[in-house]
Amino acid sequence: MLHRRDFLAGLAGLAALGHGRGALAQAGTSAGAGAAIFRVVTPYEINGLDPVRSGFVFTRLQIAETLLGADDGGRPVPQLATAWSLSEDRLRWRFTLRPAARFHDGTPVTATAVAACLERARALPGVLINAPIARITAEEDTVVIQTTRPFASMPAFVAHSSTMILAPAAFEGETVRAILGTGPYRVAEMVLPQRVDAVRFEGWDGPAPAVERLSYLAAGRGETRGTMAESGQAEMVCQLAPETVDRLRRNPRVQVVVQAIPRTRLIKLNCGSPLFSDARARRALSLALDRAGMARALLRSAPSAATQLFPASMAEWHVPSLAPLERNLEEARRLLGELGWQPGAEGILAREGRPFRFTLRTFSDRPELPVLATAMQSQLREIGVDMQIAIVNSGEIPAGHQDGTLEAALLARNFALVPDPLGTLLLDFGPKGGDWGAMNWSSPELVAVMEKLGGTADPAERAALRGRAATILHEEMPVIPVSWFDQSTAISRRVAHLTVDPLELSYRIAGARWAS
Amino acid sequence: MTALVFPALAFPAPRRALGLALLLAVGVFALLGPLHGLDPLRQDLSATLLPPGSAGHPLGTDHLGRDLLARLAHAARLSLGSALATALVAAVAGTLLGLLAALRGGLAERGLLALADAVQAVPALLLVLLFAAFAPGGFLALYLGLSLTLWVEFFRLARSAALSVLARPQVEAARLLGFGTGHILRRHLWPEVAPVVLTLFAFAAGTAVTSISALAFIGVALRPPTPEWGGMMTELLPFYAEAPLALLMPAGLIFLTVLGLHLLAGKEQAA
Amino acid sequence: MRALSPLLRLLGGRLAQAGLVALLVGSACFLMVRTLPGDMAYRIAASRYGYDLVDTAAARAVHAELGLDRPWYVQLAGWFGDLARLDLGTSLASGEKVLEKLGIELGHTLLLAGVALALSALIGLPLGALAGLRAGSALDRAALVGAAALRAVPSFVLGVGLMILLAAEWNLLPAGGVGEWEEVILPALTLALGLAAASSRVTRDAVAAVVASPFFGFARAKGLGDGLAFRRHGVRNAAIPVVSYLTLQMVLLVEGVVVVEALFAWPGIGHALVHAVLGRDIPVVQGAALVMGLLFVLLNTAADLACWSLDPRRRA
Repeated sequence: MLHRRDFLAGLAGLAALGHGRGALAQAGTSAGAGAAIFRVVTPYEINGLDPVRSGFVFTRLQIAETLLGADDGGRPVPQLATAWSLSEDRLRWRFTLRPAARFHDGTPVTATAVAACLERARALPGVLINAPIARITAEEDTVVIQTTRPFASMPAFVAHSSTMILAPAAFEGETVRAILGTGPYRVAEMVLPQRVDAVRFEGWDGPAPAVERLSYLAAGRGETRGTMAESGQAEMVCQLAPETVDRLRRNPRVQVVVQAIPRTRLIKLNCGSPLFSDARARRALSLALDRAGMARALLRSAPSAATQLFPASMAEWHVPSLAPLERNLEEARRLLGELGWQPGAEGILAREGRPFRFTLRTFSDRPELPVLATAMQSQLREIGVDMQIAIVNSGEIPAGHQDGTLEAALLARNFALVPDPLGTLLLDFGPKGGDWGAMNWSSPELVAVMEKLGGTADPAERAALRGRAATILHEEMPVIPVSWFDQSTAISRRVAHLTVDPLELSYRIAGARWAS
Repeated sequence: MTALVFPALAFPAPRRALGLALLLAVGVFALLGPLHGLDPLRQDLSATLLPPGSAGHPLGTDHLGRDLLARLAHAARLSLGSALATALVAAVAGTLLGLLAALRGGLAERGLLALADAVQAVPALLLVLLFAAFAPGGFLALYLGLSLTLWVEFFRLARSAALSVLARPQVEAARLLGFGTGHILRRHLWPEVAPVVLTLFAFAAGTAVTSISALAFIGVALRPPTPEWGGMMTELLPFYAEAPLALLMPAGLIFLTVLGLHLLAGKEQAA
Repeated sequence: MRALSPLLRLLGGRLAQAGLVALLVGSACFLMVRTLPGDMAYRIAASRYGYDLVDTAAARAVHAELGLDRPWYVQLAGWFGDLARLDLGTSLASGEKVLEKLGIELGHTLLLAGVALALSALIGLPLGALAGLRAGSALDRAALVGAAALRAVPSFVLGVGLMILLAAEWNLLPAGGVGEWEEVILPALTLALGLAAASSRVTRDAVAAVVASPFFGFARAKGLGDGLAFRRHGVRNAAIPVVSYLTLQMVLLVEGVVVVEALFAWPGIGHALVHAVLGRDIPVVQGAALVMGLLFVLLNTAADLACWSLDPRRRA
């Protein structure tokens, strides 16, 4: 296994065909050649080099850095910025940069370069475009972000991968031509969209990582990832399919880490449709779902059945006192009866001659979604609701939201898109709803609560406001929670000291060691 | 995506009977399977991936607890029906155009040949994907797209077979004697062309089923909860370790169908 | 000189076909993709930014950036103009140069296809020749049943089967990836088994036809043994249909790789084409279809030339 590269060089003709450019030039010349390679396998392909598109791959591999990171609880921690402060008027954020930091082309990190990089990110679709930023400037070793109104979530926003910092030389005009980051690893070779190899960056100003070389592979199929974990062909395999988890648990070569993450699978409903305009209709659909059955049989994790929108792992937002979502077909039928729905032809409910029929859009990027949709189709049929399923490109959900043709959609929403969930909630449940959130539904009270949250620093008051927001969403149910996310990762026993980031910000390879 | 031509085999006489028996078996399964009374759409999340021979589920259940016997039998109707229809459309169109080209010659022939060349050079996958994208979840558009990629081979085969027949002295004699095109078609062309076309047809039908499953695999041709052999294999793939038999059952049925068609249709063919 | 002119005519015909393909693929893809249902800007935004970030702002940005408001004929004319300068544009989804991207991906696909073809020849040709020499024997029939079984199993099921056996159970080969030489074997073998199923049958029939022919009977009557008679007189004759068939296979192969590429995480052109169609990445769709179409013409030309050199009668 170790000397494949030499063999490869021998097969020059074949290799040149296989790699296009690059591979041969790099073979054997990389720093630390011969050292063991840490192989990461995930489903995510590298779609170009722009931070907005695929920055998450490079930040997770610790090749590039953002100003701040976040700990497991979502609280900001230093990354490229060692310290940060907020002015008295709460409109000026100051981020002090790590003094010895260097880009991978050897140039020192300057505040000017960082500010330019952030300005560029702000002009592109991403998360920064949604922050009320007035100006980003450089002052000596400090980057200053001026906002138009107090914005408490700023540290979370500058932890998002689309704001990662690249060297000025990485850009050619507006286009990113190379990944010249500031992290402990630097890119050695890339085969887009599938693979990135990285080696330790000798100019890194922190303690040298124990793992010298790493290789990232995107394998879209769960079966492939499962097999690679099973046969010990990877040190870390992310997003294991539920079916493979049990089998891998019995495998002595790997350790399976199952971790709840702040993501929820939910049904988005067009609340402007006569079918769903009444909260009772939405609750009736929710009562028809067999969440426990789906969690057990399809997701293979009983605790992932959602009892409310925010998973128990989001301790700050989860409200234990809310009545859990449960299956109750009697109550569901009663609610629909109250709304005038009567059993009609073939057992489908009808009102004024119109059947209770709609189409749910979902996508197969997350392979469990079509399966869950099929299960729910049969469960809704039991209360006389006829749901059709359309498997579409994920872009057709926001498109349907905008042109009003969407009736319902099954999707997975990441509340830690920025480490502070408020950022996502503002996008989803604002006055006009959101592409991935409420549709034709809004609650003036919820909007007011979220606005207050954005400007409040007092912990007790914030906790109360968060609880209120969760309660409104639970009672009004503009989206129907289906299940929470368990993220399953297989880690080889060859590796020690590797923890899994519940916020999916980093693979934390720089902190890992080889087991002796 | 294009049908693979399996030139016919020199099997002894009973092979036709064997082929017919295989096809009848699959047909009987498609007709009688549903009589066993279970709903192919009925789910039971507390009884998923049961092995064959479980109580009430002779062939077991799938990942949603649906009865596999009921699903396979219902799928047989859709899969067989649409695969045969696809192959039939391609065969009729391709053969007619091929005969036309051979009989007419000249500009018509050259035009059709250029068209066939061009269609064949456009990746079949692209055509099918585009058709599928036009009608997400609709099987009709998908099968039409497949027909569009399959007709070329029928065209080429029918044309070359017809050309070799037309060059024979007895055909020229028939022409000189004043027999019409209809007579030549019936007496000389059809007996020669039909077996070749039938062989190709068997494989085009098999290809249609497996192509649909390949499309389902890349996320194009799925329409839950309708049972369909190719789609079932895609759905069951993640459970290969827990329920390998469930995954192989639809493949087994496709195998029997293809083999049956092939044995039934094949005749010694001059390649 | 007399031998050359049919050759020139042959090459001229293929060149014309190539031109036709370029024209047809370019405009057909463009028109079809343009008229597909679903908002194009959203689809592009979805493949560009992923499902967590695709929203209306992203779609608007895409719309403005790509000039999707321009009339279709202006966009089409622009594309053909670029094509004439061998500029296939940039991918709408990733911003990469299409020509560069396809060059690398085609390289991967050709490597995979080449290895698959070699493996299928190793498996299919000897098996087919044996079956042909003993037409009607038990071996012949078993080979037929095996071939039909391999054709009935979709390649992804076959691929997972091989993966379980060779990667998970025996730990002989890596299950996925690209770059190391072992990584090509498993996907190539998956493809090769399907190909061998077909090529073994073609070989068998060609061999059986040669064996049944009068000249072969004569060679044996001369006293040559079966094997020697076949090597002296059979191979060349049997090779002609097999060669034409193998090149046709090559094209099927290039398309068949889509599933296998998705399964084994192999960054080839089929994989790229699927993503491009689903994501409405027109320049990549057009580029990929064009490359695959021209490859088809090229392979056909190669087959013509191979048959031309194998069969002296055609040179007359």
